[in-house]
Amino acid sequence: MSLAVPNGLDNSVERPGTRAPLVLGDSSYHSITEAVCKVAETPPSKLWVFSFIVAVHLATMLGLCIAYLFYTGVGVWGNRNPVFWGWPIVNFVFWVGIGHAGTLISAILYLFRQEWRTSINRTAEAMTIFAVVCAGTFPGIHVGRAWLAFWLAPYPSLNLWMWPQFRSPLLWDVFAVSTYATVSLLFWYMGMVPDLATFRDRSKHPLRRAVYGVLSLGWSGSSRHWMRYEKAYALLAAFAAPLVLSVHTIVSFDFAVSQVPGWHTTIFPPYFVAGAIFSGFAMVITLMVPARAIFNIEKLITIRHLENMCKIILTTGMIVGLAYGTEFFIAWYGQVTEEKFAFINRAFGPYWWAYWTMISCNVISPNIFWWKKARTTPWIMFVVSIFVNIGMWFERFVITITSLSRDYLPSAWAYFEPTWVDWAMLVGSFGLFFTLFLLFCRLMPIINMAETKATLAKELHMAHKDAH
Amino acid sequence: MSETKPAPQTITDGKTVHGVVAEFSDVDSLLAACERVRDAGYTKADAFTPFPVHGIDKALGIKPTVLPWIALAAGGLGTCTALAMQIWMNGIDYQYIISGKPYISLPAFIPVSFELTILFASFGTFFGMWALNGLPKFSNPMFTSPRFDRATDDTFFLYLDAKDQRFDEDGAKALLGDLGGEYIEPVVDDDSSKKIPTGLLVGLAVVIALSLIPALAVARMRVTKSSSPRFHIFPDMDFSPAKDAQQISTLFADGRAMRPNVPGTVSRGDLDWDVDFHTGIDMEKLAQIDAPRARQLVAMMQSDVEVDQADGQVAGEEAEEATEAVEETTETEEPKAEDAKSEEPAAEEAEMKEEAAEEESSQETETASEEDASQEEPAEVEPATEEATVEGSGEESEEMAAEEETTEEPAAEESEPAPAESEEPETKKPEAPAALAPASGPTVDTTPWLTENPLAIDQAVLERGQQQFNIYCSVCHGMNGRGNGLVNQRAQRILATTWTPPSNLHDETLYQDAYPDGKLFSTISNGIRKMPGYASQIRAKDRWAIVSYVRALQASQNASLEDVPAAQRKAIEKEQSDVKAALEKAAAEAEAKAQQSAT
Repeated sequence: MSLAVPNGLDNSVERPGTRAPLVLGDSSYHSITEAVCKVAETPPSKLWVFSFIVAVHLATMLGLCIAYLFYTGVGVWGNRNPVFWGWPIVNFVFWVGIGHAGTLISAILYLFRQEWRTSINRTAEAMTIFAVVCAGTFPGIHVGRAWLAFWLAPYPSLNLWMWPQFRSPLLWDVFAVSTYATVSLLFWYMGMVPDLATFRDRSKHPLRRAVYGVLSLGWSGSSRHWMRYEKAYALLAAFAAPLVLSVHTIVSFDFAVSQVPGWHTTIFPPYFVAGAIFSGFAMVITLMVPARAIFNIEKLITIRHLENMCKIILTTGMIVGLAYGTEFFIAWYGQVTEEKFAFINRAFGPYWWAYWTMISCNVISPNIFWWKKARTTPWIMFVVSIFVNIGMWFERFVITITSLSRDYLPSAWAYFEPTWVDWAMLVGSFGLFFTLFLLFCRLMPIINMAETKATLAKELHMAHKDAH
Repeated sequence: MSETKPAPQTITDGKTVHGVVAEFSDVDSLLAACERVRDAGYTKADAFTPFPVHGIDKALGIKPTVLPWIALAAGGLGTCTALAMQIWMNGIDYQYIISGKPYISLPAFIPVSFELTILFASFGTFFGMWALNGLPKFSNPMFTSPRFDRATDDTFFLYLDAKDQRFDEDGAKALLGDLGGEYIEPVVDDDSSKKIPTGLLVGLAVVIALSLIPALAVARMRVTKSSSPRFHIFPDMDFSPAKDAQQISTLFADGRAMRPNVPGTVSRGDLDWDVDFHTGIDMEKLAQIDAPRARQLVAMMQSDVEVDQADGQVAGEEAEEATEAVEETTETEEPKAEDAKSEEPAAEEAEMKEEAAEEESSQETETASEEDASQEEPAEVEPATEEATVEGSGEESEEMAAEEETTEEPAAEESEPAPAESEEPETKKPEAPAALAPASGPTVDTTPWLTENPLAIDQAVLERGQQQFNIYCSVCHGMNGRGNGLVNQRAQRILATTWTPPSNLHDETLYQDAYPDGKLFSTISNGIRKMPGYASQIRAKDRWAIVSYVRALQASQNASLEDVPAAQRKAIEKEQSDVKAALEKAAAEAEAKAQQSAT
């Protein structure tokens, strides 16, 4: 039951005529179970405890900031005339974008039969859920009176006697993001049920067994169940794939349907989707590179997985770069004075530093992945992924802030200054994200064991056939 | 691998046998066994595997699932729901007019329809799959055997159900043994208790009961008829923390809760009265006699800014001072402002009662009026400018205190205001237009004062006037206007050297023909000699009411019997004759006594 790999743990070398293995080392079904369950079953490492304490504190800071915001009002942010969409919206778009890679990996790569997705999809999906949690927080508290945010929902109100306005992109956004969150959660949870059953069956403590028993819904592994389960999984993947594209399209409508110079462009939907995938894959790398080292799962999340993600980052990075160029071209070609000004102002106006940070992080830094050495060296990709995260945050900053701070009316121009609450909330949202993610690493199966075993079975089968 | 294992083992005890299960350790042997079982005629066989094994549905003869149809139906339901919802809500029930587009504009409804289609289809798929699988189901005979725990790890199980027509326990065991099953056992009932633990039930009941409380509370609040205020979790804007007039606010740069009028604007409702009403001067006539002064008065009534344009010289100077005063106010720190405020009443007191120490009190008066100026100037542009204007020098009220000091001496000698005021333009402000001063005395007062009270006099106005008079005027002028109020009495008793006795309002020089209503109004507004202006304290309408009351007082003290209504005349006549008789009687008695004692 073992598969000899000539190059040790390096499966990134292409050998003509053979498929590179995706499960490495002397792996068996049981060793996969052991490797994944060990993460949740052994006491946490000091590093985990330390990270968790830090993350929880930051998340608490976010909570306190929100309480302060509720108590005092939205004036605690830097949102001032004319920039009324400040960092909360920047953070919202940033986090929603992060989420997209998870769905892309679990849905679109599934539909394309990209089997290398199997060992990373769980983490990526979890990342999606937690990123959407962070993303959903910001528009929720940005509405001013957050306790009345339910007014966004189309419910028969006895106080308002009116319905929401269904021609507004902001309302589409409510539906898109909430649908996205719901479907992602269903997809993630459904994918986890067989692995939760594994956790249940390995549990010694009755309480643990009871909790995982309830969570796994009495999963037995029956072939009939598997058959329907796989069909449901394929269907959900088929639904989630267009959904993920629609969500960031609609998020881009929030901007594109308005008349603000620099926002009112038709390139926004594809540009936003590419940017979302770009940032999402960067975040997956940011999470995976340390996680595979800490939890000793290098045999399951191999260099080949990481290399593939680097290739996607390179591709989407170039798409994003092309979009930046196209925007400038259209601004010139369209001959709209305000539009031209908006783009020149972005690059050379008071926010030039943000624009060029974005360009260097998003367009220049991923080009290092043209070299295979960079694509297969974890620390390099980790550094680049951090750059891309920073760059993509700045992309949203540039789009939101520069356009609003200088629109049609020069007398209303102003320079945006964030407050300490803006900073604390941005940092705090990372705290919330990592708190959830670290808890997930401890309590849930971080790798899809069932699918990885199926991949292993396939590879064993192929090896068996090759042997004949 | 299975060949090396010992012969199939079986376990039996007295329980219901649901079926027989055999273990396999790899996919290929399981698939082979499944095919053999299917070929042997078993239709209710099932395999349990740690991951989905491809081809096993065919090997076991499992029929395709209807799940895609459920998903399709749910998705279609989602589309219909979304469209129906949007068309009803925006197209029919609550129509929004957006850029003249039709109410039912399908392109705009696409995004939400798409999202709800996906959402419903996903729900259909997710819940449909679990429903078809009969899950969640936590009790399963398969779980009885601890060996089955490895079904989710690395072991493959093939299960023959007892409900199958072909099933018999021994035959099934034999078949599975033949197929290479490594460990064969019957699946029997779970012998653990089926009773749910009491603790769990109680806990569940408590949780359910507690979770009902908020809903019940809300439901009760919706039907209850209570007069007590609504319970506010979030205050929203139901209780805005309003500031009182003189409080400090951190909201505005000048630190004041009260907002001054915006320069160049008139508050809503303040345009009811014309300039005449506020100055006591007939502006049309004044314009004929002295156009610059009239222009200036009108301009100052309107705003500071326009003063500049109306009369550059005087107004420019004044505007400068005004801005100084405003600056002072804005720069004033909180404690300082409070000090000044607390000083004010003290200053007033001193002014009214003591006045013994001249310098001190004059200083204090200055601070008081300075405070007045800074407090009221921006807040109520109108009265402040008015004061300044009619004073004749175009000065701040701040300046007025000083003026009073300088004009004090002549005023003290002569209760008639005219000579004192006539000096002002010459001594103080030679550059100011002379006509600004209500010049009188040696030079004839040419100011066309209003001779009639612009208010329609009725009982209510007189009563209002009386009330205001008793509050503001009687302290010096006395309740009857004879100029012997409490402040005057005290000043006389302590022999205050700087005290100027208040005018006796019953002096003939103050009668209507000599001292027109407009002039009296102006005096009340702007003050004279020791008397400060009351424009900042008493509204114009009330000042006119006071004027009417003063006229009534004067009439009361100088009326002939003919003025009294006939109905009351007799009573008065009788009273008078009684008093006269009594006096005569007393006089006669006294005379008699005197005669007696003399003799």
